[in-house]
Amino acid sequence: MFFSKKLILQFFSTIFITLVFFILLNNLIINLFRTDMMFDLGWLNQPSGFALSENSLPYNPTNSYLWTLLVGLSNSLKVIFFGLILSTIIGVIAGASRFSSNKLIRILSSYYVIVIRQIPLLLQLLFWYFVAFLNLSNTPLSILGNILTISNQGVRLLGIDISVEFSALLIGLTIFTGASIAEVVRGGINSVSIGQWEAFRSLGIKDSLGMKRIVIPQALPAILPGLTSQYLNLAKNSTLAIAVGYPDIYAISDTTITQTGRAIEGFTILLIIFLILNLIISFAMEVLNKIILSKVYKY
Amino acid sequence: MNLLKKNNSQKDINLKHLTTSSTNSLPQKINPFNIRILTRDFFSNPLDTTLTVALIFISILGSVNILEWLIYKANWNIVTKNINLFIVGSYPKEYSWRPISWLLIILIISITTLYTNLFKSRRYLIWIIIIPLGIYLHSGGLGLKPLPTDIWGGLSLTLILTLSSGAIAFPLGILLALGKQSEITLVRFVCKIYIEVIRSLPLIAVLFFGQLLIPLFLPMEVEINRVSRAVLAFAIFAASYIAEDIRGGLQAIPKTQCEAAEALGLSKRQIFFQILLPQSIRTALPSLTNQAIGLLQNTSLMAILGLVELLGISRSLLANPEFIGLYLETYVWLAFIYWIICSIMSLLAKKLENELRINQAKE
Repeated sequence: MFFSKKLILQFFSTIFITLVFFILLNNLIINLFRTDMMFDLGWLNQPSGFALSENSLPYNPTNSYLWTLLVGLSNSLKVIFFGLILSTIIGVIAGASRFSSNKLIRILSSYYVIVIRQIPLLLQLLFWYFVAFLNLSNTPLSILGNILTISNQGVRLLGIDISVEFSALLIGLTIFTGASIAEVVRGGINSVSIGQWEAFRSLGIKDSLGMKRIVIPQALPAILPGLTSQYLNLAKNSTLAIAVGYPDIYAISDTTITQTGRAIEGFTILLIIFLILNLIISFAMEVLNKIILSKVYKY
Repeated sequence: MNLLKKNNSQKDINLKHLTTSSTNSLPQKINPFNIRILTRDFFSNPLDTTLTVALIFISILGSVNILEWLIYKANWNIVTKNINLFIVGSYPKEYSWRPISWLLIILIISITTLYTNLFKSRRYLIWIIIIPLGIYLHSGGLGLKPLPTDIWGGLSLTLILTLSSGAIAFPLGILLALGKQSEITLVRFVCKIYIEVIRSLPLIAVLFFGQLLIPLFLPMEVEINRVSRAVLAFAIFAASYIAEDIRGGLQAIPKTQCEAAEALGLSKRQIFFQILLPQSIRTALPSLTNQAIGLLQNTSLMAILGLVELLGISRSLLANPEFIGLYLETYVWLAFIYWIICSIMSLLAKKLENELRINQAKE
C-alpha cells in the first residue's frame, strides 16, 4: 500500500480535530458578534467602581479593573501563603500522630482525617464563617492576655487586625488541607520499612529522635509529590472565598464579569493567572524536592 | 559495594517478612482490659499519662456538650418542617412521587448490591439504567407530565448531578488517557493541553465557565438548561482527573504484558480493551473512588452558582425569616446527609474492589 494505515489515521484525526475546533470558534465569534462583545481588553483601564471589604494593596473604587484584579490576586496570595504554612504544620502533626505511642492520640488523629474528608469543603467554610465567627459576641474575647482577641468584628493578633472573612477562610482551608496532608505524611512514613524502626530502636535511639533523624528523612521523597498536589489543591480551593465574602481573585473576576459582561476576557485572565500560579507552586516544590533529595542522599 | 547494597536490601526484606509474620502469629483476640496492654497503649510514660487524662477529659466534656446540644438545645424545626424541600426541592407536591421513587430505587439497588447476590451478572447494566431513568422521572415526557429543570432541587438534584456527570466523565477520562498515549501527535497534544489546563483551574471557575460560556460555543438555536450546563462542566472537570488516574493505572502495568499479547497475535484494540484497560481500572479504583466522592461533595459548589441542590436549598431556607440563625442545625444536618452518601459510596466501591479481585483470582 502506498500510504501506511498510521498516516491515514493521522490525516483524518487532524482534520477532525481542526474541524471541531473551528466549529466551536465559529459559534463563539457569531455569538460574540451578535451580542456586540468582540474580544477586547480596553475595559481593563476603566474604573471598577465597586468597594472591596479588604485589600492587601492600596485600593479605591476609582482604580481601574486591572488594578482591582491585581488587588484580588494579592488577597488570594495572602490566604494561600498562610494556608500553605499552617496546613503543613497541622498535617505533619496529625500525620505523625498516627505513629504516636499513645493509642488515644492515634485514634483521635485518624478520626480527624475521616470526619474532615467526609464533609464538603464549602460546607466547612460556611460553618466557620456563619457559626464559629459570626456567632461570637460583639465584645472582644481576650485569649492569652492581649496577644489574641477575637470578636465577631474580627481577630486581632499581636496588634494586627485580621478580618472575620479571612480568618474563617484560612481556618477552613487549613483544617481541610491539613487532613489531606496528614494522609500524605502517614503514607510517606509507612513507606519506610519497619526494619529501620527496629534498627534504631535496637541501637537505643528514642522514637522521637529516630523519627526526626532516620524515618522522616527517608519518608520525605515519598511525601513531597503528594504534598505538591495538596498545595495545588489549596490554591485552587482558595477560590471558595466567594462563599464567605472574601474578595479573592475569583470573587473579583466574578463581579467584574457581571458588571462588564466581558465573560470570555475575564475567564481568559483567570485561566492565565491560575496556570501561572500552578507553575510557580510546582516549580518551587521541584526546587525544594531537589534540595531535600540532595541532602538526604548525601550520607 | 553493589553486593553489599544488595545484601542489605535482602536483609531488609527478610526483616520485613519476619516482622509481618510475627504480627500475624500474635493471638487474634486481645483482652481489652489487659493491664499490660493498657499501660503500653495509654500510660507508657508521665507525658503519655498526662496527655491521655487530658484528652479523655476534653473528649467527655465535648461529647456531653455536643449531645446536650443535639438533644435539647438544637432547634430541628428547620429540618422537620422542610424535609420535603431537602429531598426533592421545590418539585410540585402532586408529582414529587417521581424523584422520591427514583431515590428509593437507588437505595434498594445499593442495598441489594451490597448485601445480596441478586442480579449479579446484570448489576452494571442496572446501575447504568438508573441515570436515564432518573432524568426521565424528573423531566417527564413519554406519558409523564413534562416539568422544567429549574424546579429540580434538593438531594435528588445532587444525585442527578453526581451520577450523570460521572457517567459522562468516566468514558471521557478513559478516552483522554488513551489519547495522551496516542501515536498521533495532534491527538496527544490536544489531550495533554486539555488535561493540564483543566487540572490547573479551580472547579468553581470551570462551573462558572459552564454556566456562562458553554452557550457561547454552541450554535444560536441550541438552548441548554442550567442543570445540563452544570453536568457538562462537572464532566469536563472530572474527566481530566479520571484521565490522570487511569494513566497512572496504565503505567503500573508491566510492558511485558503488551509484548506477550502482541506475540499472541492480539490486535491493538483487543490489547487495550481486554488487557490494559481492565487492569488499569483495577489499579486506579481507590483513586477513582476518591474522585467519585469528591464529585458528590463538589456538587455543593453549584449553590454558589444558583442551583438549589442540597446546599443551595439550605441557603435559601436560611434566608427565610422563620428559620433565621439556624445555621448550625442546618450544617450539621447537611454534614450528616453527605456523610451517609459518602459512606454508601465507599462501601459500594469496596464491594466492587473485592469482586474485581475475585475475578482476577479466577482468571
